[in-house]
Amino acid sequence: MSELKPILNALRRSKVGAILLLLQIAITTAVVSNSAFIISEKMTYLNQATGFVEKDIFTFQMMHFGNDVNYMRQAELDESTLREIPGVIDAVIVNAVPLSGGGSSSTYRLQPTGQKSKGLNASIFEADSHFLNSVGVQLVEGRNFTDSEVVVSNDYAQYPTVGIITQALSEELFPDGDALGNTIYRGDNPVKIIGITDVMKGPWLKLDRRDWSVIVPFVMADKLTQFIVRTQPGERAQVMQQVEQHMLSSNRQRVVENIRGFEDLKAEYVSPDKLTMRMLMVMIVVLVLITALGIFGLTLFNINKRTKQIGTRRALGARKSDIVRYFLIENSVISTFGLVTGSVLAVLMAQQLMKHYSLAQLPLPFIITTAVSVLVISLLAVIGPAKRAANISPSIATRTI
Amino acid sequence: MFLHYVDLSWRSFKRTPMVSALMVFAIAIGIGVTMTSLSIYHMMTKDPIPNKSERLHHVQLQTMDDGEGYWSKDDVPFQVTYQDAINLQNGNFPYLRSAMYKAGFSVHLNSAQFKPFVQEVRLSSKDIFQMFDLQFIYGGTWTQQQQDDIAPVVVISKSINERLFKGVNSVGQSFYLDDIYVQVVGVIEDWHTPVKYYDPNNGSFNDPENIFMPFTMGAAYEITTAGNTNGWKHEPDNTFKELLASENLWWQFWVQLENAQEKEEFGQYLMSYMQQQQTLGRFNREQLTYNLFNVMELMDYRGVVKHDNQIMVALSFMFLAVCIANILSILLAKFLRRAPEVGVRRALGASKRQVFYQHLVEVTLLGLLGGVLGIILAQLGLWGVRASHGAYDALASMDVTMLFAAPAIAMVACIIAGLYPAWIVCKTAPAIYLKSQ
Repeated sequence: MSELKPILNALRRSKVGAILLLLQIAITTAVVSNSAFIISEKMTYLNQATGFVEKDIFTFQMMHFGNDVNYMRQAELDESTLREIPGVIDAVIVNAVPLSGGGSSSTYRLQPTGQKSKGLNASIFEADSHFLNSVGVQLVEGRNFTDSEVVVSNDYAQYPTVGIITQALSEELFPDGDALGNTIYRGDNPVKIIGITDVMKGPWLKLDRRDWSVIVPFVMADKLTQFIVRTQPGERAQVMQQVEQHMLSSNRQRVVENIRGFEDLKAEYVSPDKLTMRMLMVMIVVLVLITALGIFGLTLFNINKRTKQIGTRRALGARKSDIVRYFLIENSVISTFGLVTGSVLAVLMAQQLMKHYSLAQLPLPFIITTAVSVLVISLLAVIGPAKRAANISPSIATRTI
Repeated sequence: MFLHYVDLSWRSFKRTPMVSALMVFAIAIGIGVTMTSLSIYHMMTKDPIPNKSERLHHVQLQTMDDGEGYWSKDDVPFQVTYQDAINLQNGNFPYLRSAMYKAGFSVHLNSAQFKPFVQEVRLSSKDIFQMFDLQFIYGGTWTQQQQDDIAPVVVISKSINERLFKGVNSVGQSFYLDDIYVQVVGVIEDWHTPVKYYDPNNGSFNDPENIFMPFTMGAAYEITTAGNTNGWKHEPDNTFKELLASENLWWQFWVQLENAQEKEEFGQYLMSYMQQQQTLGRFNREQLTYNLFNVMELMDYRGVVKHDNQIMVALSFMFLAVCIANILSILLAKFLRRAPEVGVRRALGASKRQVFYQHLVEVTLLGLLGGVLGIILAQLGLWGVRASHGAYDALASMDVTMLFAAPAIAMVACIIAGLYPAWIVCKTAPAIYLKSQ
C-alpha cells in the first residue's frame, strides 16, 4: 500500500482524465443498475404463470351477417360441432378471452349498493359449464356449474345468481377463507360463490385485476361470438387449420377470423414491454462495452505518455509486477470513487423513476452487483495495457534522456 | 482556411487511425442508441396533423352526477353519451363538427366467389373528411340530405376500393355491410396517421378505419359500438333504445374552431347546453365543466406517450453522456500529445483562436462521421424494434427531421467533448515545446 501515495500524487496532476473516467464509471453504474432492475421487473411480468397450457388452447372470433340467423341456436350448434372435431378436448363460447387485452369488468362488493363494504374490480367471464375444461383450469374448492344453472339468453333480467371466482379474488375478499357459499354483489345483483379456481389470469395481464375473475353461467350469443378451444397436446395446429371450414360448413353467412394460439395472444399483449426489455438489454451491454473501451484507451494513452517514467522505474529496480500493480491500483482508486458516486446517482435516479413512473423501489443488491461487475470489467480492461507497460524496457529511460 | 483545417483534420485522423476510429465508433454507438429511442418518441409526440391541430377540438362533458369518479386525471369522462353527441351535432352553431364512433361489420358482395372479411367502420358526419384533411380520389362526401334521410351510403378508402372493386372508380357501386346494402359515394386516400389521435380509446397506435358512413345510420340500424362503452349509472340499458337514452358513454365529438374567439363562444355554448340539460334532470352537479382540447392538448391529456418510452429516451441521453466523456478523455490525450506541433504552429504566427478553431473543426468532422454511421446503426435498431413489436411499424422509423437531427446531435456532442481539449491545447506556450525539440 506504500504505492498509494505516489499514485494519488500522480492523479492529482492529471485530474481531468481521472475525473472523466470517474464520471463514466458513475453514470454507467447508475444507468446499468436501474436498467437491470427494470429488465428484471419486465422479466417477472413476462414470465408470470397464466394458469393455462397455452400451447394446447386457441381462440377465434366469428362475425355473422344475414338476418335469418337465430344466434342462440347457432351458438349451441357451433359448440357441439367444435367439440366433435377429432383432437378437441372441449370448446366454449365466451364473452371475453383471457390474455387478449379485451373483455369486461365490474366491481364486486361484499354488500349490495347503499351499504359501504369492501369491493374489488374483477374481470367477468360469461360461459357455460364447459369453460373451465376449455381453458384447462382446475377447481380447488366447490363445484362446477350444473346444466340447470346455465342461462342461455339475451335478457339480462335472467342474469344468473351463482358464480365461480378465482382463488386470488377469494383471498382478497374473504381473508378468513370462508368464500365458498358466501355471496358477493355487482351493484344489487347477488352472486353466490359455488366454486373457487386455481390460478387463472384474466384478459389484462398488466392491470391489478389480472388475478381477480368471476365466472358466470350466462351465454349470450350475438352477431360477434368468441370461442375458446382446447385440444389434445400436439393436435392444435391441425384443428386450427380445419376450424374455419367446420364453422362455414354449417352456415356460410359469417366470417371466421383471429384464429390465435393462447401464447400468441399473450405475446402480442406483452410485446411493448418485451421491446423495452430488449432495448434496455442491448443498451446496457453496449454501454458496458463502451466504458470498458474507454478505460482501455485511456490507460493505453497514459502508458504512452509515461513511457519514460515507466522505463526509469524499471531501471531503478521495479519489477514487472510492480508496474502492473501500479496501474491496477490507480484504476481501482478511480473506480472506487466512481462506483460510490455511481451508487448515489443510481439511488437518486431510482427515486426520480419512482416519483414519475410509478416504478418499484430499486433494491440494493442491484446496485451492489452492478458496482462489483463494473469494477471487475474495469480491472479487466486495464490488465492488457498494464502488461504492455510492464514490458517497456528499462533501456528506454537511458536512451532518451 | 476552413478547407485547410479539414485537410489538417484528415491528416490527424490518418496519423492515429485506431484512436480516431474508436472515437467515431463511440459517437456512432451513442447516436445509434439515442436516435433509436428518440425517433420512436418523436413519432409518438409529433403533430399528426400540423396544419389543423390547433383548430380541431375534442369535446368532453362532465356528465356524471356529483360524487361519481372516472379514471381520467380530472374525472371528466373521455367519451360522450349518444344524446349529447346528437344534440351537439344538431346544435345551432356555424362550425364544422362530427359526432362519431366505430363499429364492426362483415364486408361482402353476397356472392360465393367473394370471401367476406371483417372491417371497422366509422360512423360520422359528412364534415369529417374536410375536418381531418382526408383527400378524395373519386366522388365526394355524402350530402346533408342523405345524412338526414339515413341513406345507406359510404365513403371507402383506396385500399378497400382495391380489395372490393380492383381500384376502379367505384362511385355508384354497392356492397354489403352485414345485411345493409350500401352505395359508394366517394373514395379517399388511405388515412395514414402514426397516432390515432381522433379516437385513442382502444389503443393510440391502432390503424384508422377504412369505411365511413353517416352517423344517423347508427340509431336507425341499431349499430352497436366496436369501441368502449363506459357506464357509471345503474339504469336499464339492455335494449338498444335504452342504450340511446342512457348515460352510457360511447361516442366521440370533434368540432373545428378557427380562433380563440370561436373557442370562447363554443365554450359558452357548451355551458348553456349543459344548463339546459340540467332542467331536464341530467348533469346533477354543482359545478358544470367540460374539456375542449385541441389535438396536441388531447394527446398530452390522454398520455399517448408511454412511460417506457420516456424512460428509454432519458436513459439513452445518459448513454450519450458516457460516450461524450469517453471521447473527451481520448481527445484530451490525443491533442496534448500533439502539443509540440502546435507549439511550432504558434511560434510561426498562428493565433490561439486559429488553433482553437482548427481543433474544433477536427472534432466536428469526427461528429459528422459518427453521426452518419450512427444513422445506419439507428436504422438497424429501428428494424429490430419493428421486428420485435408489430404495432410500432409506423412509429419505428426516422422522418426527415430525425435524419437531420442525428448528425446535428452528433456534432454538438463532439463539440462539447472537444471544447476543453481544444482550449487546453491552444493555450500551449510555444517556447516550451520549441526548447525541448
